[in-house]
Amino acid sequence: MRKTTIRLFVILLVSALVLVGCGNKNSGSSSGEDGIKVGILLSSSGPTALIEAGMIKTAMMAIEEINENGGVKGKKLIPIQEDYAGDPSMAATKAKKLVMEDKVTAVLGTFTSASRQAVLPIIEQNNSLLIFPNLYEGEEYSENVIYTGPIPNQGLEKFIPWLVENKGKRFFFIGSDYVFPIVMNNQAKALLEMHGGEVVGEEYVPFGHMEFASLINKIKEADPDIVFSTVVAESESAFFKQFHDYGITADDILIASPIPTENDLAAMGPEAGKGHVVIQAYFQSVDTPENKKFVENYHKKYGNEPVNTQMEAAYYSIYLLAAALEKAEDITDTKQIIDAFAGQEFQAPSGKIKVDEENHHTHLNYYVGVGNLDGQFDIIDKYDPVRPEPWSKLLYPDHEEPWKK
Amino acid sequence: MNVMQQIVDGVSVSSSLLLVALGLAITFGIMKIINLAHGELIMVGAYTTYAVNTVAKLPFFVAVIAAFVVTAIVGALMERFVLRSLYGRPMETLLATFGISIMLQQIVRILFGATNKAVISPISGTLTLGNIVIPYLRLFIIVFSILMLLLTAYILFRTKFGMLVRTVSQNRSMSDCLGINTSRIDLLTFSFGAGITGVAGAIVATLRNVSPTMGIEYMIDSFLAVVLGGVGSLVGTAIGSVIIGEASQLLTFVGGEIGARIIIFVLVIIVIRFRPEGIIKLESR
Repeated sequence: MRKTTIRLFVILLVSALVLVGCGNKNSGSSSGEDGIKVGILLSSSGPTALIEAGMIKTAMMAIEEINENGGVKGKKLIPIQEDYAGDPSMAATKAKKLVMEDKVTAVLGTFTSASRQAVLPIIEQNNSLLIFPNLYEGEEYSENVIYTGPIPNQGLEKFIPWLVENKGKRFFFIGSDYVFPIVMNNQAKALLEMHGGEVVGEEYVPFGHMEFASLINKIKEADPDIVFSTVVAESESAFFKQFHDYGITADDILIASPIPTENDLAAMGPEAGKGHVVIQAYFQSVDTPENKKFVENYHKKYGNEPVNTQMEAAYYSIYLLAAALEKAEDITDTKQIIDAFAGQEFQAPSGKIKVDEENHHTHLNYYVGVGNLDGQFDIIDKYDPVRPEPWSKLLYPDHEEPWKK
Repeated sequence: MNVMQQIVDGVSVSSSLLLVALGLAITFGIMKIINLAHGELIMVGAYTTYAVNTVAKLPFFVAVIAAFVVTAIVGALMERFVLRSLYGRPMETLLATFGISIMLQQIVRILFGATNKAVISPISGTLTLGNIVIPYLRLFIIVFSILMLLLTAYILFRTKFGMLVRTVSQNRSMSDCLGINTSRIDLLTFSFGAGITGVAGAIVATLRNVSPTMGIEYMIDSFLAVVLGGVGSLVGTAIGSVIIGEASQLLTFVGGEIGARIIIFVLVIIVIRFRPEGIIKLESR
């Protein structure tokens, strides 16, 4: 009796898996429709789904809008989304599927540098195109990648002098212990010293660290004007929350950071974020007609969730891709599409942006925002687009730039 | 460096670690089940608190009770449908509970969405004694964890249920012979351990935010506390938590946050090498 039950169960399980597998295959093949396939390689499950799930939604929204307006060269964009669950090796597997099986024209996606670097060899070997829409540490260039997200030099170049001028000279640097925060802090320190500021402390915490009591004590002892934080992910909101628990307000010691978004304000609670200063390429509170429309459409379609900079980046990246596809003569020739990105401009919700003519990175606007009790940022200053420098001229004045070859 | 402040902070870190490790002291220490979903039970408690306190806007203590009940039910389901058939088979238990942990994470993601959620702490403000600052929230956690420890000890050592739990864990076949319903005791014990873990989740949610992956960081520290203190002993778990909690704060003088972690691991390895049963050795036949 038991054996039969087990056998039945196993048969059901296997059939279910086969059906699921078949389901995916059908959505992959073209099924006769004439369109341009775009791969969306973003996680809807796993630890990074936190950020990437929202990006999938805005990318899909952009594709829908473009299709409603006649598509690209008269053809519809067909999105093929693959979930890699935040795992770099899974990202490589899914990238292979998108590029080699589905033969997509371009892939928008990956989030962490680890997953991007896992996917890079597949993109390069198959002469495909990756559009990477996220903030990362820079110091990278690939012929087959267009980087549409921010890199450290852009935000820091204006933010650090602004902080020194308006908030104080004594900085305590903290960050999560891996390449991205450390690179950002190094650039920030160099800028700080250029503008006459002082580094009164520097401390790194393990990724995922949650207990900030002793770090907060060290900060209080050092008595800085500003804590410059590149602590990321969950540790970041835990730090803000515990900082607030110790009774320290933004008027006593200010936290300045290029990391937090509206989601983090929601996670740490409005009291903990109030008054602290953040720099981003986009805030939900940006006052442009494009942004009003963007946020309205998003809320209508998906409900009243916060809209953050990564989501906006996924949105304008699709539009940049569509523009490049229009401009390129032959869209089966990846090189033509990549060349069509050079100098491409777009009126994004965050303002006018431009893909650099040479280095495959994007000129972005910058906003200085202060956290308020509604879980949004009050914008107190804005900068016009800053040229992206993957190897910051400050730290690497003599670096040979690979795109010049 | 303000040593007194660090010591006081160490006490508060120890107390949250004790809360989290208390449930493990029961499921791992007493029942000897290696439950890799322990972190996710913490997460279930935290999400219950989010749903009851932040969304439904009920008082915090209602949320804590709800966290106990919901997590105990999850634990009961785990025990009844998965762990029951795997007693005495640690490798399979490890794999099964690992699978359950992934399932729980994704279920929560589907139910609540992927973004982090906030649980606002019920108490704010700080107490200043001389040059030491203690947030009232942390004081509350210290007191609460001591109470939980005493309550658990009372249940285990002064009630009939506790006696049955200890009997079954010491000698299962004899307990069966004596007519004790061992499978029912197992179910209740595991649920109890899970429920306590849920309460810990409710409390630590106030210190940070609530996310599907929040349980993972607590796994290592709670196992460390139980193993260092002595598997099977509540007092041992308390001692283990205090040692690791204090050390993690005081050692930051020497190595910074990261160095402190490394030194703690090295210390635990040394202690286990020379005293594998942990600090409090339990008599066993």
